[in-house]
Amino acid sequence: MGGSETSPMTNGRMFARILGASLKERRSRVSIAFFSIMIGAAVITALSCVYFDISTKMSRELRAYGANLFIGPKAESAARVLDARDVAEALSLLPPKNLIGASPYLYGVVRLDLGSAVLAGVDFAGLRRLSPYWQVDGRWIVVDFDGRSCMIGKALAKKMELKAGDAVTVTKSETGFHRKLVIKGVVETGQAEDERIFVNLALAGEILGQPGKVNHAMASVVSEGIDIDAVAAGVGARVAAVDARPIRRISYSEGRILEKIKGLMALIALIVLMVTTLCVMTTLIAIVAERTREIGLMKAIGADDRGIAVQFLSEALVISLAGIAAGLVAGFGLAQVLGQAVFGSAISFRAAALPATVVLSLLASVIAVALPLKLAVRVVPAQVLKED
Amino acid sequence: MPELMLETKDLTKRFGKVTPLDRVSMQVEKGEWASIMGPSGSGKTTMLNILSCLDTSTEGQYFLDGTDTSRLTERERVAVRREKIGLIFQQFHLIPYLSALENVMLAQYYHSTIDKREAREGLERVGLGHRIHHLPSQLSGGEQQRVCIARALINEPAIVLADEPTGNLDEANEKIVLDIFKELRQEGRTIVLVTHNPEIARFSDKVVRLHHGRIEEEEQFDEATL
Repeated sequence: MGGSETSPMTNGRMFARILGASLKERRSRVSIAFFSIMIGAAVITALSCVYFDISTKMSRELRAYGANLFIGPKAESAARVLDARDVAEALSLLPPKNLIGASPYLYGVVRLDLGSAVLAGVDFAGLRRLSPYWQVDGRWIVVDFDGRSCMIGKALAKKMELKAGDAVTVTKSETGFHRKLVIKGVVETGQAEDERIFVNLALAGEILGQPGKVNHAMASVVSEGIDIDAVAAGVGARVAAVDARPIRRISYSEGRILEKIKGLMALIALIVLMVTTLCVMTTLIAIVAERTREIGLMKAIGADDRGIAVQFLSEALVISLAGIAAGLVAGFGLAQVLGQAVFGSAISFRAAALPATVVLSLLASVIAVALPLKLAVRVVPAQVLKED
Repeated sequence: MPELMLETKDLTKRFGKVTPLDRVSMQVEKGEWASIMGPSGSGKTTMLNILSCLDTSTEGQYFLDGTDTSRLTERERVAVRREKIGLIFQQFHLIPYLSALENVMLAQYYHSTIDKREAREGLERVGLGHRIHHLPSQLSGGEQQRVCIARALINEPAIVLADEPTGNLDEANEKIVLDIFKELRQEGRTIVLVTHNPEIARFSDKVVRLHHGRIEEEEQFDEATL
C-alpha cells in the first residue's frame, strides 16, 4: 500500500518505493539470490582471511618439524668448534619475531656405565622450542645451570638398561670427569638423537674439556615476511667466524606446501564464485521472465531502456550489497571455524580481505546480471502485453 | 479546416509472409472519437500497436499530431508514448505490488514529476477516491480498468488509445467505463478505441471496419446518433 497522503512523494521516493515493493513482491527468488551472494561472499571472505593468514600459520605449523637454519664454522676454515659467544651473537641477529627456537650443540664421546655414547651439550630451553615433536618420557631439564642432570635417547637408554629417574655415570678420562647424573627424561625422536645423551652446554664444555665452545647451532625461523637466504647471508657477514645457511630441504618443502595450499584455496574460491554467479544469473533470469509483462507495461507507459536498466540494476545492486555485507560477517565467522579446526587458533581479520571480497563478489554479480539485464531491456511491450 | 490528430498513409505491417495490415489509410481529427472494429485477425491490435508507437509499420507513414512517427528512433517513439499517448488495455495491466494511487503516479514518474494530489484527483474523477490505497488484487475488474483509465489520462495526453477497454467487464462496469469515455469525448479528447462491441462503437464519431488487414468500411456518425 502507498504511503500516507500527507507525506510528499518525490520521484526519488517513488523510485525507492518501486524498488522496495518489487523486491518484497519476489522475496523468495530475491532470497535465493541474496543467499547465493552471501554464501559466495562468505567463502571468499573466509578463504581470503585464511589466505592472508595462512603463510604465518602454516609457517609456524611447519616449524614443528625442526630446524631450518644451520650456523656452523666457516666452510673454508679448518676449525671444528666455534666460540659460544660468536654463536650467541649470530643467533641474536635473527629476527626475534620470526625465531621459534634455537640451540647450540657441542658433541663428544663419553663413557657411560655400560659403554660409550655420544654426548651433546645443548640449550634445553631452546631445544624444546626447536624440536617440539620430541617425545619425552619423564621431564625436560628446565634450568641452564643444572650440572647433575641429563636426558638420554630412547635407543641408548634401552641399550644401557636405563630409564627416567635412574642415575648414570659419565666418565671422560681425558678431562678426568667422573660424575653420576640423574636421567630427567628419555627422549624419542626417531632420529640419531635417540642414541645420544644430552646435558647442558656448560656441563658438556666441562665434561669434554671445551668450555665456551660449540660445534654448531640450529635454529627454527618462520620464513613468512623475511628472506631467509638474506638473513643467513647477513648473519655470515656480521659474524666473521660463522657461516649460516638455510636447510634447503625444509625451506623448499615449506614454500611448496604453502604455494599448493594457496593455489587450492584460490581454485576453491574461483569455483564458488562461478557457482554463485550461475545461481544468481538463473534466479535473475527467472525474475525477468516473471516480470516481462510488468517491464512491457513500464515501457508502454513511458519507461525507456535506460529507466528499465536503472530499475533492474538497482534491484540487483541492493541484493548484491546486502548479500556481500552479510557474507563478510558470516565469512569472518567461517574463517574462525576454519582457523580453529585446522590451526587451533583464531584467524586475524585482514584488511585486504575486504576489498577482495567486495570486488570479487561485485564482479560475480555484474557477470550474473548482464544476461538478465539484456533480456529485461529487450522486452517488446507489443508482444508481452498481448492478451493470453 | 479541421485539424488532424493522426493520419496513416498506406500503413502496412508484414510478419514474414503474413500481412496483418495492408495499406491502411485513415484520419482522426482532434477531438474525434474513432472506433476500430473488425473480427479477430482483422489487424485491429496490430493497428493499435502501431498507432500507440509500441510497434512500427513495415511500409507507409503514420503522423501523430504532425509528427511522422515512422521516421522516429525507438528512443523517440518512447518519448512520443510518454508525452502524447494515454494507453488503456483490455487486461488493465496494473503493477500488482503498487496501490491504485501508485499505479497512476507511475505514469507521472516516467513522464515528469510525481504529483500525489493530481493522481488522487485522477482517481476521484473515475469514482475511485475511496480506493486509492488498494492493491489491484483488492479491486474488481471494473475498478482496475478505471485505475488504468486514470493512469492513461494523468499526463493530459493528446490522444487516448484503448484496446477493448470493456472486453473483460460486466454490464454495470461496462456502463461506468463507457460513461467515462463519453465524458472524455465531451471534453474534446481525441480517442481511438478498438472494440468488438457495436453498442460502444455507436457512441463514436467514426467507425473504421477492418477485414483481413484492410479497411472494409468507414462510417461517420453525426451528433444525432449519440
